[in-house]
Amino acid sequence: MTELISSGLVRGLGIGSTYALLAVGFVIIYRATGVINFAQPALMILGAYATSVLATGAGLPFPVAVLAAMAVLAAVGMATERVALRPMVGRQPFAAAMVTVGVLTVLFVVAHRLIGTQVRTVGDPWGLQRAELFGVSVAQVDLAKIVVSMVAIGAVGLFLARSRLGLAMRATSMDQEVALAQGVDVGRMFSLAWGISAALAALAGMLIGTSAGGFEAITALVALKALPVVIVGGLDSIKGAVYAGLLIGVAEALTRLYQPRYAEWLGANVDVVVPYVIMIVVLVVRPYGLFGTREVERV
Amino acid sequence: MRSNPVQRRGRRGGMRRGVAIAGAFALLATACAVDDDDEPDDTSTDVAEGTEDAEGTDDGAAGEDGDDGAAGDVNVDVGVTEEPCPEAVNPDNGCIYLGVLSDLSEGPFAALGIPLTAGQEAFWQRVNDEGGIGGYDVDISTYTRDTLYDPQEHSARYREIEPNILALAQTLGTEPTEAILPDMDADNVIGAPATWWSGWAFEDNDFGLILESGYSYCLESQIGLDWAGENVAPPSTVLAVGYPGDYGGDSAAGVEAWAMANDAEFGGFVETAPDAVVGSQDAAIGQVVGSGADVVVLAVGPAEAASIVGGSLAEGYEGLFLGSVPTWDPALLDSPAGEAMVAAYRHIAPWEGIDGETPAHEAIRESLGDDLPANEGYIFGWVWSYPIKAALEAAVENGDLTRAGVRAAVDGLEVDYEGILPSATFGGEANETAVRTAVINQPDPEGSLGVSPLQVGVTGATADAYEYTAACA
Amino acid sequence: MTVDTGVPSGRERAERETGLRVRGRGRGLRVRGRGVRGRPLLYTSYAADQAIWNTPAKRGWTLALVGAVLVLPFFLSRDLTSLVTTVFIFAIGGIGLNLVTGYAGQVSLGHAFFMGLGAYTAAVFGGAGSDQVIGWGLDMAIWLPMAGVVPALVGLVVAPLAVRVRGLYLAVLTLGLVFIGEHVFKEARSITGGAGVGRAPAEPVLFGMDLRERYHLFGYILSREAVYYFVCFAIFVVLAIAARNLTRSKPGRAFAAVRDRDVAASMMGISLRRTKTLAFTVSSFYAGVSGALLVMVIGRVTPTNWNLFLSIDLLAVILIGGIATISGSILGAAFVVLMPRIVSELADVVPFISTSPSGGFLSVFQLQTMLFGALIVLFLVLEPRGLYGLWVRVRNYWKAWPFSY
Repeated sequence: MTELISSGLVRGLGIGSTYALLAVGFVIIYRATGVINFAQPALMILGAYATSVLATGAGLPFPVAVLAAMAVLAAVGMATERVALRPMVGRQPFAAAMVTVGVLTVLFVVAHRLIGTQVRTVGDPWGLQRAELFGVSVAQVDLAKIVVSMVAIGAVGLFLARSRLGLAMRATSMDQEVALAQGVDVGRMFSLAWGISAALAALAGMLIGTSAGGFEAITALVALKALPVVIVGGLDSIKGAVYAGLLIGVAEALTRLYQPRYAEWLGANVDVVVPYVIMIVVLVVRPYGLFGTREVERV
Repeated sequence: MRSNPVQRRGRRGGMRRGVAIAGAFALLATACAVDDDDEPDDTSTDVAEGTEDAEGTDDGAAGEDGDDGAAGDVNVDVGVTEEPCPEAVNPDNGCIYLGVLSDLSEGPFAALGIPLTAGQEAFWQRVNDEGGIGGYDVDISTYTRDTLYDPQEHSARYREIEPNILALAQTLGTEPTEAILPDMDADNVIGAPATWWSGWAFEDNDFGLILESGYSYCLESQIGLDWAGENVAPPSTVLAVGYPGDYGGDSAAGVEAWAMANDAEFGGFVETAPDAVVGSQDAAIGQVVGSGADVVVLAVGPAEAASIVGGSLAEGYEGLFLGSVPTWDPALLDSPAGEAMVAAYRHIAPWEGIDGETPAHEAIRESLGDDLPANEGYIFGWVWSYPIKAALEAAVENGDLTRAGVRAAVDGLEVDYEGILPSATFGGEANETAVRTAVINQPDPEGSLGVSPLQVGVTGATADAYEYTAACA
Repeated sequence: MTVDTGVPSGRERAERETGLRVRGRGRGLRVRGRGVRGRPLLYTSYAADQAIWNTPAKRGWTLALVGAVLVLPFFLSRDLTSLVTTVFIFAIGGIGLNLVTGYAGQVSLGHAFFMGLGAYTAAVFGGAGSDQVIGWGLDMAIWLPMAGVVPALVGLVVAPLAVRVRGLYLAVLTLGLVFIGEHVFKEARSITGGAGVGRAPAEPVLFGMDLRERYHLFGYILSREAVYYFVCFAIFVVLAIAARNLTRSKPGRAFAAVRDRDVAASMMGISLRRTKTLAFTVSSFYAGVSGALLVMVIGRVTPTNWNLFLSIDLLAVILIGGIATISGSILGAAFVVLMPRIVSELADVVPFISTSPSGGFLSVFQLQTMLFGALIVLFLVLEPRGLYGLWVRVRNYWKAWPFSY
């Protein structure tokens, strides 16, 4: 029972909330520009790297380092949007998505070059310590993942719902031309979407970089798990991204825990494919994910 | 709809032409097959024909290099030129090209592969500084390729560089090396492995092409467990955790053999994979914690080892971890698992670290100057180069620096390791010649390269008694 | 498009009528060649317009290229011969992907999976069996078609799901195929040898001839690489022509209709389900064949190589080459395969790139990857029609020269 809670549910919610964080980043960019940002993994690992440099290298206090890293990555995201994605406005979403694949390839090399082959650490305060939660010993880092992600997602949600800029962003995602007519600087909204998304990716990178073995450049690939998450939740739903992230995180953790014992014939490391299996099942039932908006077809 | 018949006809016309062209090719293919049959298994033409750097093809050309007595009557073929190497140390010398197939950028052992290759470059630089081999300098940089620790990539890159090299100065990884062995056999290319698989000791496995140094993973885990039994506490249950294939498998086979010989329970072989593949080591950690083993032998990469040791200890595991050579990296001391590693992890190594007292160690330190390498890979690369150097020297002595000549020189080859390992002889009975000593290290922030030796020259009863007649896995 | 370049004279008009008459008798293709002397761009029938080599220049160039390709291996070193062989193989895969993504508009990130499936099907049918892996050791004449058929069948099974979802949902769905496929490949050890180990691919024995031997041809000795080269080129030519024919036939036009506006297409009586399924099936066939040939040239096959990055390579082939063109796929394949080699040759000249893995600003391996990504971005932003589009522009410039403004 304690195992189910500590290694199953809490661990799963922890990793799931980082997926949710990444997935929200995908959704924000998708809503603003209609593009899936395949470059998210590279932004994530650069975020982990920036945190690592600022916290362990420059010796900033950890929370300051994290915020600074998010700011740096927001700038990287905005620059990327301006250079590579802005010229693609009005073109097919697939073509724009492929541009982000190209960006991923370039930024990934940059990440490799910066991080090198050595294992790095983000200098987080949680380490391998445990905490008591209702009498069960759980890893502090799992709790930290849940709390940090949910606070960040909540802040973004509040920003979108309450602020003037958030309103403008929502207007842009509904209809770019009308938003333009209402005096919204649509280009700036694109830029903002990329900035927020990259900052969230950086935060997720920090959380994933807390792993006991540290992180390497190749750890970036973990962020690809956010793709099935956004599909399960629905490409344009923030709520969906959060639910789907948590669902997939827990499903993964439970698979890791029980599959080697009860379904060994499925092979080693089945948890890797769990998100994709869930995604296919959901798509069979609901082609636009759990909370996605059905595309209206007009002839 | 009216255009349909026309259109269909048009398509059929195109089809017809396509078939005609295909037919032409089929004919051509048959034509070229018809003229051959007399040729195939004549290996001598194989070798000569493979030469592109025609300059070095015959003895006449070699003879022109008159400033060195030995070169005058040495036969050469592929991968040896009379032109000096690019950036040659001795511009009057010819050049021997050796290939390097390593993990240099994104693969799981890149952290090891880069210093390893640097160590080999330093080794051959020293050889060249001392005048080269038989009137030739040795170049390993031109044909250095990154194969990402992947057998398929390894094979592709091998076929790319094979037409231009005499031998392989390094082929990293057990499975990648196995992938190219049939080709190496057909091409008469020998190589130094960057792997300690037990199979390299047996001609059945390596066709006598792989010149290994030091112990094997299989004996490594046995020596490690023998040491743990004598110095910590005799384990009653042992567990192996590793990558699938002959690295993890070989190590696990050693663990199993040790358990059999010592009446201990073998808890099984937990297969895991690099973090990039599986995302995290949580599954392996769960199995380690649940196994109740006293000693766990790890055969994974450094980051994965740290995750498993740190994660298991955090979840309450209290046993000991023994790590195979490639599991250690000094950077792990700074990871969150650093303390756990110091407490519960011991590293098994085939020879002494950077502070050793042998002539080889001195030469290594001299080549480094004041800089320390990132990890012990540098030393590995250095040590693994001795047998290839010995083989090239023996081939020059025999007057036959062709691929076939180099291959022939391997049988009975004596290799002097300048003290870092006992001298070795290739081609004998593996059970007699196998190296069965190790060094046990402890992670230590004070030690150079993050470790300090606990015990040097470790041997163990089980490992010594192990009947070594075939590859363990 | 029917292009008429001038006012026809009376004789020509008559000939055009003759042409129509001839076409009426069912020999439409011949008309183009001799019907209208000196007027190569005048098409007198839809068939002539849609013919593969619809201009004499195209015919000439194609013949010249084929001739050049046939003599090339006699001048190239063995490693370069292998590299060009890889171009043909990537072109086959690229053409397959272009059918489903370029022509039919269904974005697939799952092509790597079908390539892997083809490679393993071939290995099972044509590979040597051992204690670890299954292999039936059959002839290439059997394993090569099977390497296409089995992935095509799997494509057929997967297609109904793919038909249900659209656009980027489909892209991620097919990506899921790659991840699940990779897991299955890793676990199906009796077929694949398992992760990190792999197995030998199918044995290249075609009609009883072992392609690994060296053969004599016109007094030359053909290396293994050259033999592979010719075999792959022949297969590539057959498949390229077949694809070109498919695209200019009824299903090909249905592909384009579905891509451009699927609702409108279905209003015109095109079955979306059947069209998309056909596109997936055919393209999986091409992918399977190219996967099998790829590992034949490489000499080893491991489960971890059929991943997202291979899918990206293939997408780069069609994006850089040109969406919805067969010749573009070939150009793209040449570009994607040859570029890393060119970069590593340049590395000796350019100072800040290091060939040694430890030093320098960027290692040559990193530079290759980086350029690759940058080029994808540049092409998409600046020349969406890819190399093929560039070629068309250059051609039009010279065609209209000196009035090329």
